Amino acid sequence: MPKDPRETRIEDLPGPKSKEELEEMKAPYEEFCKAKFDPGNEFSKPQALKGIRWLSTTMYIFTPHSVSNLAEMGAEVIKVEMPRMGDPMRHCAPFNETYLYPLHDSRPMTGTGMGYLNANPNEYHITMDYHLPELKEAFYSLVKMSDGLTECYRPGTFDRWKQSFRYLQEMNPRFIYVWGGGFGYGPKCFGGSYDILGQAHAGLASVTGMHEYMGGHATKHSNWCIDWYSGTQITFGILAAMLWRRKTGLGTMIEFSQVQAATRCLGYAAPLYGRFGVVRQRWGNWDTQLCAHGIILCGKSDYPDAENPQDRLEARYAMISAFQDEDWKELCAITGMKNLMDKYKSNNERAEGEAQIEIYAALEKWAADKSRGEVCKILQDAGLLAEPVSNDREYYENEHWRTRGTVRWMDDPIFGDVLQHGSYSAGMMSKTPRRLFWIWRPVGADNVKIYHELLGYPTKTVEEWYEKAWL
Amino acid sequence: MCDIIWCKKDFEGKPCNTINYLDPYCFWNWEGTINCAECGAVYYIHMIQGHMYKGPEDRPGEKPDTSPLYADKPLEGYRFYGAGIENRTRPFECLPRHIYLGVPDMVKFSIRNRPVRGWRPQPPDGGIAGSYRFNWDLKRLSPDVYEEYQQKIKNGEVTEW
Repeated sequence: MPKDPRETRIEDLPGPKSKEELEEMKAPYEEFCKAKFDPGNEFSKPQALKGIRWLSTTMYIFTPHSVSNLAEMGAEVIKVEMPRMGDPMRHCAPFNETYLYPLHDSRPMTGTGMGYLNANPNEYHITMDYHLPELKEAFYSLVKMSDGLTECYRPGTFDRWKQSFRYLQEMNPRFIYVWGGGFGYGPKCFGGSYDILGQAHAGLASVTGMHEYMGGHATKHSNWCIDWYSGTQITFGILAAMLWRRKTGLGTMIEFSQVQAATRCLGYAAPLYGRFGVVRQRWGNWDTQLCAHGIILCGKSDYPDAENPQDRLEARYAMISAFQDEDWKELCAITGMKNLMDKYKSNNERAEGEAQIEIYAALEKWAADKSRGEVCKILQDAGLLAEPVSNDREYYENEHWRTRGTVRWMDDPIFGDVLQHGSYSAGMMSKTPRRLFWIWRPVGADNVKIYHELLGYPTKTVEEWYEKAWL
Repeated sequence: MCDIIWCKKDFEGKPCNTINYLDPYCFWNWEGTINCAECGAVYYIHMIQGHMYKGPEDRPGEKPDTSPLYADKPLEGYRFYGAGIENRTRPFECLPRHIYLGVPDMVKFSIRNRPVRGWRPQPPDGGIAGSYRFNWDLKRLSPDVYEEYQQKIKNGEVTEW
């Protein structure tokens, strides 16, 4: 101990005593990340957007997703739906029985389909027929106490109903108003949109899938990837608008065309055309810039006896990558493609269309008597990059995603046991992580909470409106 | 493709004008007699590979071998005889395969055997104006599923993943 107890000596303090010791005592990076992100304990941390209130007068996936990002980050979101029916997305479901009951108290035999998942988590669900002059006051009251709104009606519809940005900014100058839809203003103003239309019209589908020469066609992605992608882009816009509002105190109108957003995924397509007049073509599971760098079909399934055809027949695709010259040499040595190694020495030579056709054909020939797992193991053992193309089940069973909490089970307060991968697959944040409180609520489940508790209407009025199907 | 017999016999003082539909599934390769769904007149037909090879010819007094699948009267506001009307249209006793009936396979437990709220009808639990509580009490609202769940726990069938 020092003579003077007020003196602080480094050797008396806990922790490392030197720079070297500090380095030595640091947790391995893996442990550090685990402690920082702590998957499963998201609920003990603060929420970044707590205090933000957002209105969601949206349908399907695209615009709802722009708001669900906010709700997962802690914003209080009020989703407004059609009385009794709710969002049409609730009624779209794949397969025989994937409905979660009930949809609404008056419809015990109708449920919400799983297509609704991930688009409206953590939100309060109310119903309102906002054409009615009688409900304008309630709508405007919500606007006055909210930070913003996302809507998806055709351009000008909300203006006709006197609830567009022009009207709302007069009531609440800090209001951020988002219109998300098909084409936006312009000659095709009144064109509606769906994900598939976005993919098709923006030019994305024309470069997706194999070339027609190889039996392919212009292809839409199976999932609604442009809905999810455009929704997330809106969220960026909202966050930037909120920052702008902190600086200026003023709201913003965001006008977001889904068809326009899908064009952003096209990368170099337009500049390529502008410079050379070349229209970009499809190149399917291969890469236009790198080779070998693509997905190949192997001869045998990893699960030849599985009952599910997705396992039995489809578990045959492997992604392989060996475009650097050394990797390419290694790949040729393993697969016995010596003639190709001599023929295509550089990546530039290999990336040519004709070369790729020859190379991938040779690779698939080599893999014809092997299973996907065997192909990946052989290549990985040789230090090359190779991964099987996984299906949902394999994703679920993958320890990597379980450790990171990306895929996890949750006990939804109403709907029970639900396997989730949506909310937790969007990146990790050490201080203010995303979290999922509930996947959704039945139609109008929060009518009393919002109309009575928040806006102060007597329950009798709320009940009366409900009886008239205004709510 | 569906061939027809348009019956124009006098019936109750006016032309019968009934269209009897011969569904290809039954009549594609077929020879025999059929009744008109409205007036009961009997016709003979012989169809080969979906084409009317012979007929329809009148066979008054004969007993029909079969009946049309359904029939309607388009000149009289589409009066309609559906399938399975006795002595008029062909008996229709079979049900479509269960997957086409739209009857859901109700799932009560997830793949790790914990209860989901995925079946119908649900016991009503709406409060005022359709509002729902934030928690769903399995024991109170679905005691049978709760019991089944307890049994699964006892049997060690409930897992983490």
